[in-house]
Amino acid sequence: MSDPAITIDSLEKYFPPARSGWRAYVQAFSASTVPALCGVSFDVQRGEAVALLGTNGAGKSTLLRILATLLLPTNGRARIAGFDPSRDPSAVRRHLGYHAGSDLGFYPRLTTRENLRFFGRLNHLPDSYLKTRIPALAEQFDVRDSLDRQVRTLSSGTVQRLSLLRALLHQPEVLLLDEPTRSLDALAARDFRRFLKAEILGRQGTTLIFASHTLPEIEYLADRIALLDDGRLIDFDSPAELKARANAATLEDAFSRLTGHGAHLLEEPAS
Amino acid sequence: MMLRSFRDLALFFERDLRIASTYRAPVVFELIEALFGAALFYYAAHFVDSPQLRAALPQGSTYFAYSLVGFIFFDYLYASLDAFDRSIEEARDSGTLEPLLVTQVPLPVILVGSAIYPFLVTTLRIAVYLAWGVMLFHFPVSAANWPAALVVLLATLLAFSGLGIFSAAYLLIFKRGNPAKWFFVGISSLVGGMLFPVSILPDWLQFVAHLNPVTYSLDAMRAALLAGARLRQIAPAVAMLLLFALILLPASIWSFSWALRRTKITGTLSHR
Repeated sequence: MSDPAITIDSLEKYFPPARSGWRAYVQAFSASTVPALCGVSFDVQRGEAVALLGTNGAGKSTLLRILATLLLPTNGRARIAGFDPSRDPSAVRRHLGYHAGSDLGFYPRLTTRENLRFFGRLNHLPDSYLKTRIPALAEQFDVRDSLDRQVRTLSSGTVQRLSLLRALLHQPEVLLLDEPTRSLDALAARDFRRFLKAEILGRQGTTLIFASHTLPEIEYLADRIALLDDGRLIDFDSPAELKARANAATLEDAFSRLTGHGAHLLEEPAS
Repeated sequence: MMLRSFRDLALFFERDLRIASTYRAPVVFELIEALFGAALFYYAAHFVDSPQLRAALPQGSTYFAYSLVGFIFFDYLYASLDAFDRSIEEARDSGTLEPLLVTQVPLPVILVGSAIYPFLVTTLRIAVYLAWGVMLFHFPVSAANWPAALVVLLATLLAFSGLGIFSAAYLLIFKRGNPAKWFFVGISSLVGGMLFPVSILPDWLQFVAHLNPVTYSLDAMRAALLAGARLRQIAPAVAMLLLFALILLPASIWSFSWALRRTKITGTLSHR
């Protein structure tokens, strides 16, 4: 078997306690005592899709942000494509696409094409490549009509699609997605899942880790699920094995039985 | 590697130019503001006169020319203190900071690249002020030593950039505007020689003035622009500016790296 695409080894992350008022000024100097990840370990094979499943505060985004080189772990190690995000972040970024699940992150007064070209060039993609790659992905994401419009005129769902598109521009080996369909309407979410499954996972063989609260999405995309609760890895297996182990008919029931939480906790509060 | 970094820096300049080009009116307002600013100094200079002041001015210079140079080059201090932390603040508030940080461009390049446009705009604004001064208010440029002025400008940018990077490090950690920055601007406007020579200050304030790179920058710039000083004559002031740069730049880059690492530990990188 070849080396795993991602190795996560006894990863721990502690944050300083959140402070308000004047104490917020010294937060950066406070000791990190609040656990967010507690000794999480698992491997992700090349071309595999792994879902991070857990309630809010389970540690999903923290784990993704450590892998994306945006956070430093307190203890433990991770490796992406053989590189450590803490020690060799620029090498990791060469192999990585990251989408934070936000509909922010673009320059509102630049057009979609200008924004995507700018970020593509920062990933050292040549202009000639971007000239064909941007329209091709825009077609795929159904945002071709938005290419020459300023980003400030676009809906939040469209901007989120652009953010996903940006993460794919440089054809990364590893894709990290934090709630990728959160702001998409049902049809756009369905199309995106199909695109991920057929093109990114199927044809390109990209390795995917994604956080999601949408159980049908997880069952459709994930080869294995990392079940997180309060920063701990409760279980790590395929959806079918998790259901069998919990003696549950649905993933929802399996989640409830394995974590002791009701599956309603997975649903995002209406915003 | 070097070429790639220059290309990356150019991308940030192009980005800012494109964004600025979507706002057209401010260019006209800048021109008008510079005209009013130059006029203000011209007429105010008619009422400010004393034997002590005249003795302190470079030979052949007027108080109008003296104060205009002081005022417009003080702009560089603002630009350098503001450009770096503003680029971080804007990226954080627009949500572009994290997408930028997961590209293959290191943060120092992002920081410097984002400062190029504000520095260039400041340089153009200074040029417009000088042009109005020359065309309408007899600002003397016949004696100016432009190459020497350029050397002073470059040394000034290096020295002031260290202060700006300190300010950006402060912003990363404390999230809000830097009170030390405004204190420094306030002190510099008093003792930096913006509107009057440092020599008319009490001894202890003159001592403070000589700890401030602004004083050396303004002295050397006035000598080059108003008295046509040769490079050899301004070399001591330029050497002091380079000394400030030698101390401030590595220290500020170290403090910025430390602040960035700290925010990655505390998870407050994109917090406002």
